[in-house]
Amino acid sequence: MSHLLDRLNFFQSNKLEKFSDGWGQTTSENRNWEDTYRNRWRHDKIVRSTHGVNCTGSCSWKIYVKSGIVTWETQQTDYPRTRAGMPNHEPRGCARGASYSWYLYSANRVKNPLIRGALMRAWRQMRAKMAPVAAWAAIQNDPALRVSITKTRGKGGFVRATWDEATEIVAAANAYTAKTYGPDRVFGFSPIPAMSMVSYAAGTRYLSLLGGTCMSFYDWYCDLPPASPQTWGEQTDVPESADWYNAGFLMLWGSNVPQTRTPDAHFYTEVRYRGTKSAVVSPDYSEAAKFGDIWLNPQAGTDAALAMAMGHVILREYHLDRQAEYFEDYARKYTDMPMLVRLDEKDGHLVPGRMLRADDFDDKLGETNNPDWKTVAYDEASAQIVAPNGSIGFRWGEEGKWNLEQRAKGTDAQLRLSQIMDGDHDEVVGVDFPYFGGAATGDFVKCDHPEVLTRNIPARRVTLADGSSALVATVFDLFCANYGLDRGLGGEWVSKDFEDDSPYTPAWAEKITGVEREKIIAVAREFAGNAEKTRGKSMVILGAGLNHWYHMDMNYRGIINMLVICGCIGQEGGGWSHYVGQEKLRPQTGWQPLAFALDWNRPPRHMNSTSAWYAHTDQWRYETLRAGEILSPTAPEGDWDVSLIDYNIRAERMGWLPSAPQLKTNPLEVSKAAKKSGKDIPAYVAEQLKSGALQMSCEDPDAPENWPRNLFVWRSNLLGSSGKGHEYFLKHLLGTDHGVMGKDLGEEGGVMPKEAVWHDEAPKGKLDLLVTIDFRMSTTCVYSDIVLPTASWYEKDDMNTSDMHPFIHPLQAAVDPAYESKSDWEIFKAIAAKFSEVAPEVLGVETDIVQLPLLHDTPGELAQAHVKDWKKGECDLIPGKTAPNYVAVERDYPNLYNKFTSVGPLLEKLGNGGKGINWNTDEEVQNLRNLNGTVLNEGVSKGQPKLDTAIDACEMILMLAPETNGNVAVKAWEELEKPTGRHHAHLAEGEHHNKIRFRDIAAQPRKIISSPTWSGIESDKVSYNAGYTNVHELIPWRTLTGRQQLYQDHLWMRAFGEGFVSYRPPVDLKTITKAVNNDAAEGSPHVVLNFITPHQKWGIHSTYTDNLLMLTLNRGGPVVWMSEIDAQKAGLVDNDWVEAYNINGALTARVVVSQRIKQGTLFMYHAQEKIVNTPGSEKTGNRGGIHNSVTRTTLKPTHMIGGYAQLSYGFNYYGTVGSNRDEFVIVRKMKKIDWLDQPATGKVEAAE
Amino acid sequence: MMDRTLKALSLMLSYPSQELQEAMPEIGAVLARDTRIDHATRAALQTLADELAQGDIYDLQEGYVMLFDRSRTLSLNLFEHVHGESRDRGGAMVSLIETYREGGFEPATTELPDHLPVLLEFLSTRPHDEAQEILSDAAHIMDALGTRLTRRESGYARVFKALSQLAGMQADGEALAEMLAQPDDDPTDLEALDAVWEETEVTFGPDPNAGCPQVRDMLAGMDIPKHLNRSA
Repeated sequence: MSHLLDRLNFFQSNKLEKFSDGWGQTTSENRNWEDTYRNRWRHDKIVRSTHGVNCTGSCSWKIYVKSGIVTWETQQTDYPRTRAGMPNHEPRGCARGASYSWYLYSANRVKNPLIRGALMRAWRQMRAKMAPVAAWAAIQNDPALRVSITKTRGKGGFVRATWDEATEIVAAANAYTAKTYGPDRVFGFSPIPAMSMVSYAAGTRYLSLLGGTCMSFYDWYCDLPPASPQTWGEQTDVPESADWYNAGFLMLWGSNVPQTRTPDAHFYTEVRYRGTKSAVVSPDYSEAAKFGDIWLNPQAGTDAALAMAMGHVILREYHLDRQAEYFEDYARKYTDMPMLVRLDEKDGHLVPGRMLRADDFDDKLGETNNPDWKTVAYDEASAQIVAPNGSIGFRWGEEGKWNLEQRAKGTDAQLRLSQIMDGDHDEVVGVDFPYFGGAATGDFVKCDHPEVLTRNIPARRVTLADGSSALVATVFDLFCANYGLDRGLGGEWVSKDFEDDSPYTPAWAEKITGVEREKIIAVAREFAGNAEKTRGKSMVILGAGLNHWYHMDMNYRGIINMLVICGCIGQEGGGWSHYVGQEKLRPQTGWQPLAFALDWNRPPRHMNSTSAWYAHTDQWRYETLRAGEILSPTAPEGDWDVSLIDYNIRAERMGWLPSAPQLKTNPLEVSKAAKKSGKDIPAYVAEQLKSGALQMSCEDPDAPENWPRNLFVWRSNLLGSSGKGHEYFLKHLLGTDHGVMGKDLGEEGGVMPKEAVWHDEAPKGKLDLLVTIDFRMSTTCVYSDIVLPTASWYEKDDMNTSDMHPFIHPLQAAVDPAYESKSDWEIFKAIAAKFSEVAPEVLGVETDIVQLPLLHDTPGELAQAHVKDWKKGECDLIPGKTAPNYVAVERDYPNLYNKFTSVGPLLEKLGNGGKGINWNTDEEVQNLRNLNGTVLNEGVSKGQPKLDTAIDACEMILMLAPETNGNVAVKAWEELEKPTGRHHAHLAEGEHHNKIRFRDIAAQPRKIISSPTWSGIESDKVSYNAGYTNVHELIPWRTLTGRQQLYQDHLWMRAFGEGFVSYRPPVDLKTITKAVNNDAAEGSPHVVLNFITPHQKWGIHSTYTDNLLMLTLNRGGPVVWMSEIDAQKAGLVDNDWVEAYNINGALTARVVVSQRIKQGTLFMYHAQEKIVNTPGSEKTGNRGGIHNSVTRTTLKPTHMIGGYAQLSYGFNYYGTVGSNRDEFVIVRKMKKIDWLDQPATGKVEAAE
Repeated sequence: MMDRTLKALSLMLSYPSQELQEAMPEIGAVLARDTRIDHATRAALQTLADELAQGDIYDLQEGYVMLFDRSRTLSLNLFEHVHGESRDRGGAMVSLIETYREGGFEPATTELPDHLPVLLEFLSTRPHDEAQEILSDAAHIMDALGTRLTRRESGYARVFKALSQLAGMQADGEALAEMLAQPDDDPTDLEALDAVWEETEVTFGPDPNAGCPQVRDMLAGMDIPKHLNRSA
């Protein structure tokens, strides 16, 4: 509105009051125009929150709220300052997060509980006559009715429901499943607790009280780098992003920080201004590449070759020709390099065998506790073989010697690194190393070196306890030989010259990777040279790209070796920075009791998702990779050539990996039978398993008793994003229309599994019920039976932490959840309440039997020094030793809700802890009673602390965790002092009275307190850096040797050729068959490309690819990226519609033709939704699929190892991973774009 | 005092339920008496009322969810069509709440204030002139939703036809044309959605002075005046 009429333009009153000596003047003209600004900025309150856009960046935002509506938001800039000399964390934020805010009111939101109409009709019809569980049973027991519901998945037809009705169906289905098949048939999948840990915990707390299965995510996403547990016994621990600023030489290897870690990227910019040199390794010219002082672009999938060539140069120049003092000292103290390895004879040749242990020697070297788990080395001081402190045998069963002091048997020791000196070895012997360069297929360079390379090693002959003699070598000597370094011992396959075409020289790597040898040598020298001068301040930031290959461990170990031999791990400004998966839940030990209901019953049921989905989506029925193809030519004798699913079954049977479901018989029934027999549960189960009366479910995944029956998906887009083998999920798990084009092994006449039972007819539609909890209609929601609307990030109270910075940040309910939505905490609370109401129809207080694998960080990690399978009669079945343990757990089903909403008594009975440390926590539980209030109602929870609201849950986490409660931190450090015999509590003393509460972090994000759960410290002297306490506090790594484990001596590691690192070309998944490639048959233009799925800048994981603002910045729908040369071959121009397909399925997208992309590769950015702008596929006749429509997951046996020190199972710690980058697709132009805009009804009949 | 026609239309656009089905004859009768709506539309509304009264409740609900919960272009939240996911949306909703409060009401629903049935119920309590003025401001949205529903052969189109007539004026032609130029975006009309995001082809040479066609189109788009929002 104009104010011209109210205002004098030409006059000013001479009667105006003046003040301040005439400098001030009071006017009386209309000032309504100011209301524009008042209105714009009006608010009742300002609330701090963040965008948990599947992200843990914890960027702080101020949310302005007026009348319950978000009106405005601005960035907060009040993160605590960093120490002097370091840049601050602020400003943080990115376009993706910022575009979230108004998504709150988007039409894409799910407004009400939705239920598939066909299911609702059936339910109401049954429910009118029957009680809830009986009604659900009636639907399930009518096969025609059941299939009429499952077949419509993904085809619309939702109706609204009330919360009461929706939760009743869910509760009835859960109760029916627990009663009929067992509670472990109720699965739940939710990823990345760190981004909203209470929302995650809500679902897993419900499942854990029920006895349901919590599925892992970090391994399934393939973000878990198994090389980390293999080397360090640590899931993943990394330097905070601020520590980049301390680096002297910084490599970005397959990571694209400016694009994917926007809020932290400024530290990378700042350190370059400080003068740090940066090398970027990326096949494509990525956003990071332009920041590099040098850019190396290897062929995708050949990173291990590049890393090993750099390792070759570093070893030659810094360890052999000249010994850099710092490097040598570091190798002796902090790595397994001085340890002795036995050389085994096989067919007249020698191969590296097991690490020698104290019990191999006379008198067990004086070690009575766990002598078979104490590795040995030669001590120069005493001139004898000793078992030095720190190996895993010292961790359990004794105190005071689990440390990295250079001591053995109480005296100082000087471990010998190499036996190269003339007097130090008895013989020079040839040792065989496997070489896989000749296994390359497709476009990967195939080498003509033999598959076994014999190299000379300095060895000693020692006498063993049984009187026999054995040849032994140090890890260091074997390690150097493995890198092909000539040490003047003669023999073949070693080299002194970088120009030789011999494995692992720069010249050899140039041939494989395409990177010039001069660049490889220059980067290696600068990397090591800087590390020597700065004592370890060389850093590698590496991304998931390298980890998603089948042989990811080789890529990672190649790089880890570079860091270790240059002494960079555990040093500020140095180290291994794997930022993938946002895995770091800093107050982990405070959160676990909440999330897994450890306050009420232990243990919870955990499952590694990769193995579960592989079995239950029947991807194993299509397996094209045989173990024989990846076996080492030097493998010890054994029954190795079996199917990958057979390996997984063996691993489950021996207690290495978990199972879900666990036993073919309902565990609630097994416990009754055990009770009847009068035997205790483990003995009864063992007896029945041995007789065959009980069977493990893993042996027959397709039997109806062994199907997962109910699945909850929350905080996740399993089907639209992370579901490797998407079309197999649709076909077998859901039983709806799918695009699988290949035939299974039965139809193909392939080699059948030995152990897994084969059914000629594969099941379709294993799930009875799929429930998805989301705030938007994702691809997963579209396929669900029930969709429950949840609160988004400005509508709930929760917490967010990251590995990228040491702060803890809140999410807060600035406004009430829109429409009918509720927070995840309230949703699961409502389901729990309904379950307690419904369950008594069929369930009371029951005894469940939980099958528990041998766990890392427990004495169980010392269970199996040798591989022995009870089923083959190699040993007896001893639960918890040669097989999983079987633990009775009471389930009080009618009281599930009361337990959900209170903190249970077990914390005071058993204490709390994690990673092998346990402490008394009575004081904290009492404090929670005072803070949250106590339950007054009579019953199981009377007198316990209340757990009603999400804030109560936050307070429980904060109170119990050492990271947020200084009192607990001091207790935890003191507990660790027992095994190590060293003083650590100084790291937290002084923090005694520092207790962080939810309201504190609402006021400002708070820095956490140093805790022994993690390997870095919070300090005003150094930035957080992983491995810091191992190096500076001499706390051992949680590995076999207690040191960084560069040699993997487990039988299966040696069998599959991964004792030492090597270059392994991508595997051939055989998905481009003659039958599927009709373009080749017809001679029409097409191109076959390697298919990879990096992260994008228009979406974060799954959550944001349907946001209009973000889509507008890209092309508005699914796209793939291709090089100009490949486009020309296939007759494509930019923006053409293309179809990419193989036997796994097909996807449709527009093509972006760019010089940026390296020839031979097709990029499809991760998680572009099927629900946005995707036409039908000409190949499958269905809507064109997502990036995972052309993938299928493939397991690796070395990831199944268990019961063996660091190679023991832990949830999201070790296990099979969902690799997906070895895949190839055929790309061709689409002839006709069909939007499939006719109703789907006709197609239901047409579908097979 | 209450404008029962607006109240009836508010109910017609509400989620079908048993109670609503039972009330449909009464709702139909109210609409049949209102001569502000032309004869043909009244007859059509009667048909809709019959369909809503007699249809299978599950089919009606599935249809409603598909149309109004799942299709962005048919959202009954009016500001979806005005502000989309822009930051102006929050402020506009607060203004609307304040309008309701000035009228003597507190919103008592989980629906957002810009939900059309909410607005219609409020307007049913307002003096005729005021209701008409507010309706006429949104007339182009009503027309666009009506046209889109007609394209899908949905009976709900008639409700919007009636609303246009009650607004008592022609919708702003240009604004309507602009809205209708935006294609539908729901799962059953994907071809149109693609067109929204399709980029103009880039042609280099032979006339390098012709300018960038993308920028040209974008500028041309900006020339169309935007006056869609009464509360901004």
